[in-house]
Amino acid sequence: MRPLFSETSVAAVRLIVAVTFSVATIFIDSRFDALTMVRQAIKTALWPVEQIAYLPGGVSSEFVTWVQSHDLITERLEVIALENERLRTEQLKLQTLRAENAELRRLLGVKERVNERLLQAQIERLSNDPFVHRVTINRGLLAGVTEGRPVISADGLVGQVVVAYPHAADVLLMTDATHQLPVQVTRTRERAIAVGVGRMDRVELRNLPDTVDIVPGDLLETSGLGDRFQPGIPVAEVKEVIRAPGQPFARVIAAPLTPMARLSLVMVDLAEGES
Amino acid sequence: MIFLVTWLVTLLLIAFPYPAWLTLALPHFGFLFVTWWGLMRNYQLSMTLLLISSLPVDVLYGTTLGLHGLLFALIAYALTLLGPSVRQVNWVRQSVVIFVVLLIASAVSYWARTLTGQSPEFFILVLQAFVSALLWSPLRWLYDSLADYAQGLRTQRQ
Repeated sequence: MRPLFSETSVAAVRLIVAVTFSVATIFIDSRFDALTMVRQAIKTALWPVEQIAYLPGGVSSEFVTWVQSHDLITERLEVIALENERLRTEQLKLQTLRAENAELRRLLGVKERVNERLLQAQIERLSNDPFVHRVTINRGLLAGVTEGRPVISADGLVGQVVVAYPHAADVLLMTDATHQLPVQVTRTRERAIAVGVGRMDRVELRNLPDTVDIVPGDLLETSGLGDRFQPGIPVAEVKEVIRAPGQPFARVIAAPLTPMARLSLVMVDLAEGES
Repeated sequence: MIFLVTWLVTLLLIAFPYPAWLTLALPHFGFLFVTWWGLMRNYQLSMTLLLISSLPVDVLYGTTLGLHGLLFALIAYALTLLGPSVRQVNWVRQSVVIFVVLLIASAVSYWARTLTGQSPEFFILVLQAFVSALLWSPLRWLYDSLADYAQGLRTQRQ
């Protein structure tokens, strides 16, 4: 006769308890966002492990730099010096434009926008989960990075900080399936929401009127709605407008301007909350 | 001691900054860690320890807290039941059984992720389960070596 409390039934009870605990944790974390402190504590405790994991990559890049010949470095320096000259000239033009812009804003009675305070950060790792588009940057609470800060690159918007730890921060890329971003078409000022679809090379605008004036090649930028991103940050370029016959809504597919898979350096906008 | 060593190595394998193009071809090191414990050392495995050890895995992968706890518990339970018969067969058959178990875990993962707002593609989860099953043999060797090393250290101390 089979015993009432066999080893299998004990294991099953343990499984039921574990599953219940896990499902409750999933529910609390996803619905109430109440476990951020736990996440921060775990990430802080994992900091030494992560530093050890980054060590081989760091050593190999140092080695590559050391191996690079003197000529190559000189050549690169020349290119950088030329680029620096060009950027300095551009900056002069920018200063003139800023002054003009400030004067126009003053005439129109619009409040002056606070200058950006950008903090450079390096991407340490991408999430290894193919469905989670998150990256970890090497700046955190100690450098002034807090939750909700926009993250941009030289090409355009990257995403926003979702969890800040003392020495690092998790950035949710705008291509993540859970990310939604208020945008506008630069040409027509048509507003929409750019939704990530879980692909690094794509965001979508959904439920747009069938008659919407968007064509492939249009640029999308942040609209400033939602008070998280300042307006005018380049986001994506429209690749395809799908108008299905008989359907009331059009769907727009756009490619992010920032190459998400090849990111290494980003900027965290620290002044956003002060504007 | 053995649990701590194998767990730390698993965390290192997960935290390693792999290039973006490799993401789809990576095994799930967390699953392989639980597979090893479920198959080889299930008599020493504590469910509480397993749940606690799954939280850093969630943080490293950036998934909802609790997701890996659920999957680890299911894998450990399934392999604890199958353990005695699976341990006796060759590595190819072991990999096939592990693939099936990980496939079921992937289906649960797909369901949980869909509920939490992600839009996963099932074939990528299947691919991950396949790669994990394929790499079971070398990972098993790694964990066996680590366990022997940890055991040796403990014996030396005593």
